[in-house]
Amino acid sequence: MSSITSGSGFTRRGFLSIAGGVAAAAVLVACSADGGSGGSGGGGGNTLKFWNMPWGGTEFNPLDKKITEAWKPTSGDFSATYQEIQWANFTQTFSSAVASNTGPAVSSGGGTQAFLFESQGKIAYADALFESWKSNGLYDDFLPGLIDAMKVEGGYAAIPYNLDMRVMWMNKALMEQAGADVPTDWDTYLAAAEKLKAIGAYAFGVGAGAGSFTGGHILTSFMINNGGGLFNADQQPEVVTDANIEAMEFVLEMVSKGYVDPGTVSYTSDNVQTQWREHLFGMGWDGAGLAANVGGDVAAELEVVSPLAGPHGDKGSLYFPNSIMMYTNTPDQSASEDFLTYYYQNMAPLWKEHTGIGLPPLKSIAETDEFRSDPNAVKIIEEWQPIAQTWGGTSLFLGVTKVDGTPAMDAFTQSIYSGQAGAKDALETLQKALEATA
Amino acid sequence: MTTSSSTFTGSMERARRGVGVGGSGRPPGSRRRGIAPGRARTLTFLVLPSIILVLLLNAYPVIYAGIQSLRNGDLIASGDFIGLKNYTSVLTDPSFWASARFTLIFTLVGVFGSWAVGLGVAMLLRGKVPLGGFFKVLLLLPWVVPTVVSATAWNWLVATPQSPLPMLAKSLGFGNVLFLADPLLAQIVVCVFKVWISFPFMMMMMSAALASVDTNVYEAARVDGATGWQMFRHMTLPLTARSTYISWILMTIFCVNDFPTVFLLTHGGPVNATQTLVVKAYQTVFLEFRTGPGVAIAFLMTIVLVVISVVLFKGVQKAAIE
Repeated sequence: MSSITSGSGFTRRGFLSIAGGVAAAAVLVACSADGGSGGSGGGGGNTLKFWNMPWGGTEFNPLDKKITEAWKPTSGDFSATYQEIQWANFTQTFSSAVASNTGPAVSSGGGTQAFLFESQGKIAYADALFESWKSNGLYDDFLPGLIDAMKVEGGYAAIPYNLDMRVMWMNKALMEQAGADVPTDWDTYLAAAEKLKAIGAYAFGVGAGAGSFTGGHILTSFMINNGGGLFNADQQPEVVTDANIEAMEFVLEMVSKGYVDPGTVSYTSDNVQTQWREHLFGMGWDGAGLAANVGGDVAAELEVVSPLAGPHGDKGSLYFPNSIMMYTNTPDQSASEDFLTYYYQNMAPLWKEHTGIGLPPLKSIAETDEFRSDPNAVKIIEEWQPIAQTWGGTSLFLGVTKVDGTPAMDAFTQSIYSGQAGAKDALETLQKALEATA
Repeated sequence: MTTSSSTFTGSMERARRGVGVGGSGRPPGSRRRGIAPGRARTLTFLVLPSIILVLLLNAYPVIYAGIQSLRNGDLIASGDFIGLKNYTSVLTDPSFWASARFTLIFTLVGVFGSWAVGLGVAMLLRGKVPLGGFFKVLLLLPWVVPTVVSATAWNWLVATPQSPLPMLAKSLGFGNVLFLADPLLAQIVVCVFKVWISFPFMMMMMSAALASVDTNVYEAARVDGATGWQMFRHMTLPLTARSTYISWILMTIFCVNDFPTVFLLTHGGPVNATQTLVVKAYQTVFLEFRTGPGVAIAFLMTIVLVVISVVLFKGVQKAAIE
């Protein structure tokens, strides 16, 4: 069969050959990508990939990048590259990268991320790193309890990086206007709430709407404040306890008496800040950055309250020791450790220059004049950090991913703040949901 | 009256066949010429590379996802083969059926609500409207603006007691209305939000369909004594039926697969009241790290979507034949 020649001298048969070749090449490329030891995992060659999150304001990542890229390894010819990873869909970003071995050698990420990847054998334990830090003073520089929170059965899954605390705030101007005393325990909290209600302000300002998980964090804080929690000693979910029921009954009392904004179940973080700005929240619960986020004249009126004592004298709250983790997929494990030693010795400007990152994990940073210029931050480090606990008590583990921003926790939280369910019923529903996802 | 009615019916029949007043349409019995066998083989070879690429790009992920739905893996490990257990656990989960129920409501309101509004606006803009072009551009904005921006704007409209709509409701004597905190009101808000976002698409589809209808048909019907409702019922709807069915198919797919509208506005809350199946699938995979059940939900959604699309496509074919 003769081929038909086109005007350009390009034959149909020739075209078919090229097209077939391209398709075959595509098939071969697709088939050869084994997804296993893919080339650029951890950086490849002499490049160490460090992925960090936008922990602060716009000035955070440029400064962090500058610190990262200034790393000069003590041995070897390595250099570090810096990648900012957005919070949007970060779980997918990390999971797909780690699964395909194209992820970083070192990264920060979600508070429970290290434990998820550790269970898959993708994390390089930090035991040797911590051991080396005992000689240079870094190990002893960590605030109490932080390093222990990173320990799992196989070793230390991560290194504490910045702290996200859940604390109680008040607007002192509104408190004075209402004639309310600063609460010290649950009973005095109710009394102060009644006085705030009289001037049209809510005493339990928090958000539990789209993407706002603080509401659930605070419910857990109250459980911890009453000696309870979400997990038992075997790290299994056990939420239907007397301590938790009593704590949730207290919150429900706040709801039924009108001390909780009825819009709480739908409030985003922005909505919550609006309520603070509008002087509708006299007291409430949030992270350490609330005053900075609210801004304006109201920011100066906001003050951190000392931890409340529960009905049985317990004190406690929830906190998130965000961490940095090393991955097994690295060009060189000693280079990963060398980089982190350098990074932790040189990261202080991230706090001293007020880039907006959470609270520091190191005492040396918390003691600087720059940090101590913020009395609220100092109060949180001195009074809240020592009594704070993680989702799992004193340590973190894979199981906490069942409650960290999950639909089950969201539904439980909204059922409490809307007053739709009794304390025991809501906790039983949560328990069933957590068991169902086991 | 009888004469007028039969003449009107005649006009309608001509219109349905695509024959305007004085038009001729395709001569009866005319047929397309077939393709020679040799040429057909060449054409097949020509499109073969594309078919292979499409199969690689589309079939591989679908097959891989199908396999994942039969395993108990997570985001990193593929897990063990467990047969249809993911499907049975999903189908026996009451929260799945609650999500399916709201997805159905969301889709029905989204498809027919946006179609009704879109058709109405398209008909209004069909005539000579001052600044018609400007209004068309303005009306397209909800469709053009990124959903993130729209959702933020709607949140501002309804979220807090000081927001404009709750303030308006209060001034009208409805008390403190919390649009996103009450499960029923949140469902209504999400559905209305979907209609608001989607009606410009329907408006464009129906504008194009209406523009293809010969205005002489309406003139003839008017001369024959047809009322406005008769023209709408017996001429506009049948003449735009094909576009209508196609737009329904597309909007059904858009609604069932719509993730950002719900997720950005309510995250599926309060207490899962606005959780659609696609949101549930996402949460199952990426928040609970259970890929098997999450992908199983997605597959069940796909099956239902295919069935609905086939039924509606039959409508398209029927409309084309008529």
